[in-house]
Amino acid sequence: MDIDALTGCLASSACLVTQTTSGFIIGMLLFLVAVGLTLIFGVLKVVNFSHGAFYMFGAYFAMTAYQVTGSFALAMFCGASGTAILGLVFERVFMSRVYGGDVLMQLLVCYAFVLIFDDVVRLVWGPEFRSMGMPSAFQVPPLFIAGGVVPPYYLLLIGVALAVAAILGVGLARTKIGKVIRAAAHNPGMVSALGINTGLIYGGVFALGGMLAGLAGALAAPVRSLTPGMGFSVLIESFIVTVIGGMGSILGALIGALLIGMIRSYGSLGFPLFTDGLMYLFMVIVLVARPTGLFGKEVA
Amino acid sequence: MTETSRPGVSRRSTLALMGAGAMTFATPWVARAQAKTIKIGMPTILSGRVAQLGTSSRNGVMIEVDKINAAGGLAGRQIEMVIRDSKGAPQEAARVARELVNTDGCELLLDAEASSGAFAVHEVARDLGVFCIHTNSETSSLTADPKQHIPNAFRTARQGVHDSIVGGGYAAAIAKVKGLKKWATCSPDYAYGRDTTGEFVYYLKQFAPDVEIVSDAWPKLFQPDYTEVVTKILQAKPQALYSALWGGDLTSYIDQANIYALFSQMEVFAVNMADYTALTVVKNLPKGIHSGNRYIKTYPATAENAAWGDAYKAKYSEYPTNWSWENATAVMLIAEASRKANSADGKKLADAMRGLTIKSPFGADGTVTMRAEDQTLIGYAIGWGTTIPNEPYVPEVKSGDWKQILALEAEWKKTKGYT
Amino acid sequence: MTELQAERARERTIESSAVPRIETRSKRLRYIDVLIAVAAFALLAALPFLFSSKALIDFVIRCAAFGLFATSLNLLVGYTGMISFGHGMFFGLGAYGFGLIMQRTGVPIPVAFIGTLLITTLVAAVIGAICVRLKEIYFAFVTLAFQMLIHSTILSWTSLTGGDQGLRGGIPRPVFLGIDLSNQMHLYIASCTLLVSGLLLMRQIAQSPFGYTLRMIRDNASRASFIGIDVWRAKLTIFVLAALFASTGGIIMSLFVSGAYPEFAYWTISGEGIFINMLGGVTTFLGPMVGTVLLLILNDTVTRLTEYYGIVLGIVILFFAIGLRKGLMDFMVEWCEQRRDGAKERA
Repeated sequence: MDIDALTGCLASSACLVTQTTSGFIIGMLLFLVAVGLTLIFGVLKVVNFSHGAFYMFGAYFAMTAYQVTGSFALAMFCGASGTAILGLVFERVFMSRVYGGDVLMQLLVCYAFVLIFDDVVRLVWGPEFRSMGMPSAFQVPPLFIAGGVVPPYYLLLIGVALAVAAILGVGLARTKIGKVIRAAAHNPGMVSALGINTGLIYGGVFALGGMLAGLAGALAAPVRSLTPGMGFSVLIESFIVTVIGGMGSILGALIGALLIGMIRSYGSLGFPLFTDGLMYLFMVIVLVARPTGLFGKEVA
Repeated sequence: MTETSRPGVSRRSTLALMGAGAMTFATPWVARAQAKTIKIGMPTILSGRVAQLGTSSRNGVMIEVDKINAAGGLAGRQIEMVIRDSKGAPQEAARVARELVNTDGCELLLDAEASSGAFAVHEVARDLGVFCIHTNSETSSLTADPKQHIPNAFRTARQGVHDSIVGGGYAAAIAKVKGLKKWATCSPDYAYGRDTTGEFVYYLKQFAPDVEIVSDAWPKLFQPDYTEVVTKILQAKPQALYSALWGGDLTSYIDQANIYALFSQMEVFAVNMADYTALTVVKNLPKGIHSGNRYIKTYPATAENAAWGDAYKAKYSEYPTNWSWENATAVMLIAEASRKANSADGKKLADAMRGLTIKSPFGADGTVTMRAEDQTLIGYAIGWGTTIPNEPYVPEVKSGDWKQILALEAEWKKTKGYT
Repeated sequence: MTELQAERARERTIESSAVPRIETRSKRLRYIDVLIAVAAFALLAALPFLFSSKALIDFVIRCAAFGLFATSLNLLVGYTGMISFGHGMFFGLGAYGFGLIMQRTGVPIPVAFIGTLLITTLVAAVIGAICVRLKEIYFAFVTLAFQMLIHSTILSWTSLTGGDQGLRGGIPRPVFLGIDLSNQMHLYIASCTLLVSGLLLMRQIAQSPFGYTLRMIRDNASRASFIGIDVWRAKLTIFVLAALFASTGGIIMSLFVSGAYPEFAYWTISGEGIFINMLGGVTTFLGPMVGTVLLLILNDTVTRLTEYYGIVLGIVILFFAIGLRKGLMDFMVEWCEQRRDGAKERA
């Protein structure tokens, strides 16, 4: 515990700016990874425990595409579309069978696939860790924005995260298709009675959630090493973020992610050996005070 | 209601158990017919994030076992390796070790587990009295702590304290030349990271007393995002950074520190950098990172070492890792001990191993020794140098002086109360 | 509505809640349970003399540890409808509690055993008091959060727990009452005793009026509270009781490996508990025991044959989750009932 470092930092405006900036960056990266999970829960009422596996595939697809073509844009596209297709197939063939059942069956199906996917990746790409490398376009020095240090690559990630938040937030609330999706989540029987193919909607939403996870993985690949099983730590983080923010709420995921970002950033100053513990403690407090999370709605 | 679950009650399970029982009774006869082979059990990690530890340990063992079997085996008995995955869970490591000895008839154990698994297997070795060599655990207390001492357990892995003594000396010399007074550390928050970093800082300050640690960061093992760690270090504006991060973590950290331009702002000493796993994987490796050697085929700069590295690469299409040479050394020691004792019996091997010196491509002076006092390996090549992004990766290595290492290690043991 | 009508309505409510065979537990049935327990113990005790396989002894000891853990989890999941994702924290607590007491103090083993159970009661009561008022998935989340918090604390509090290396140096096993737990046979008999008596106790809890209260809460908690049951108190009680049996499982495991590791308190243990329940089935009392044996056999066999354990386990889970859609014991009980009904129809 190093409370002096923490209070010292809070007193110095330069330190405040740096820590807040890094907390903001961490939070936006976390949101990008977690948003797919909260979307799937919000619409399908399913906790997608294989979320981390989609992240992993997004990263691996992107790395392979980049190695083959050398194009960053193409790598991102492959990562995202590959996991979208995977999500669609996974949902239609397996998840749709356990919707009615209890959450344990859903958990088991997802976990079964995490196990299978991890070993598949190990078979195909090998057990050793890999690296995609930063495309030369982004190999530039960091920028100084409002006194905080921001690497240009993270600016891209933050931009994508904000765009996703905006598109999903506005899309679900205002557009027709967003209303159909929300209606299907609320009352699938009615929606299908109106002649709309709910199966397609569910598949589409899962594909979208999977794609978001895969896109996050692809975008993270240039700065993080790839290894089978890399999805697990990301799943835990996403889980904490969405539970704190409220399962199903995009805004909640954003706020939750930023809060966790700040806790990590300031926590590493004051409690360098217990930063993880702080996160779990915060999660416990939120769950006890408001079980549905900060912005969540009661599950029907 | 029929109790179909209790073993032995339902007819089918009784028959199955009787069949298994019959086989167990028959095993001595079968075993006698196979007395020509000696089974060596090897619990290790073949899946999960650290799978490379197990696969490269296995490779290091097999490349030596094949040579021994081709030359007639251990005291005339062909070696049969039984390698099993513990998935990195210590209770699995204990179970697997017990199963290898009790059920599969392994007479010797090569424990290729990581640290907590190694402690678990150590307890099995204590309980069963089986001959055991720990090949991967670098935690000094495994052999240094007299409470852990058992006559049948040995270690051929390098020790954190040795690395820290050499690293501290090397870094202190550079610190004096370049005036590096403000240091920071960034190491994974688990026993290896904390102990190694603590020891490095201790020895750095011994050799360069005006060094000051201005910041320390402790990311969790396998943490994906190092942003708060990088910014914390940058904030403190140190002149040099020490890190015990390894493998994928080190790669991620380098990638993320790169985009913050950390490497242009301080000298970096990363003890685990000079390992082919990291060197060949990192795409934008900055020049001039100081590192200790893990396994480099050009250090020691001998023909034997280069030949061993090349043979390994030819056979397994990848470079050896630190784990590879540690496991190979265990097999080499067993071979020599069995020659000395003219037997493959565990107890005789243990007696022959204590104090044994063998010729080794990995030795600082061409040999390595299994120290009798605490049954751990000494005399292996240990040195530091700066890395470049292409072959030979570490062009010049400054060797550690084993006389100094041993003297300082003895003092360290006294301060820890291990003597 | 008159008093009489209300009472009749209440009786009908109780009768119509989906509980099978609600006769009060006659002495005869309890006697049969004890007899089965004694017979099972006798058989287990005889096993090492019939088959001289050390692996079998190790296997049964591990079954005892995981069996107690999984059956205690079923008390929560199957009987009360409380899905806990963090039950493993008590397994870890038992292992560390016992290990620390034995390593740091010189008390005899039975004292350490009782001491560990007392600590578990305290911790479970505090955590339970906070958690059990949450419903369904939120209960699962908060129990998971508590387990992660405890795991994180175990890792960080290195001076007490040894951090990621766990408790090292072995657990002292001084002889008590002529029993020497460092002798594998004595440990075997002790584990079988704990297993059989633990299962017997849990069976009594499950078949007692309290057990039927739990089933009522599972089926419809608001209806249960309407007829006057203090739901929160009942849930807290079973939470603490289940924690005690999980803790005992942890103690057996710590004796088996002669140590305690943070993995014992990790969510993977809770996950294994859930698989075991799914494999064996949650509607029968012995389902989790069947699941334990199944999972351990699967684990041991597969790791002997291949290093791609994940793919095999994944396919097995899919088979049970999507194919059978229920645990093995559930499946067998249903199959037997179908045959019985078929025979009745034909008769």
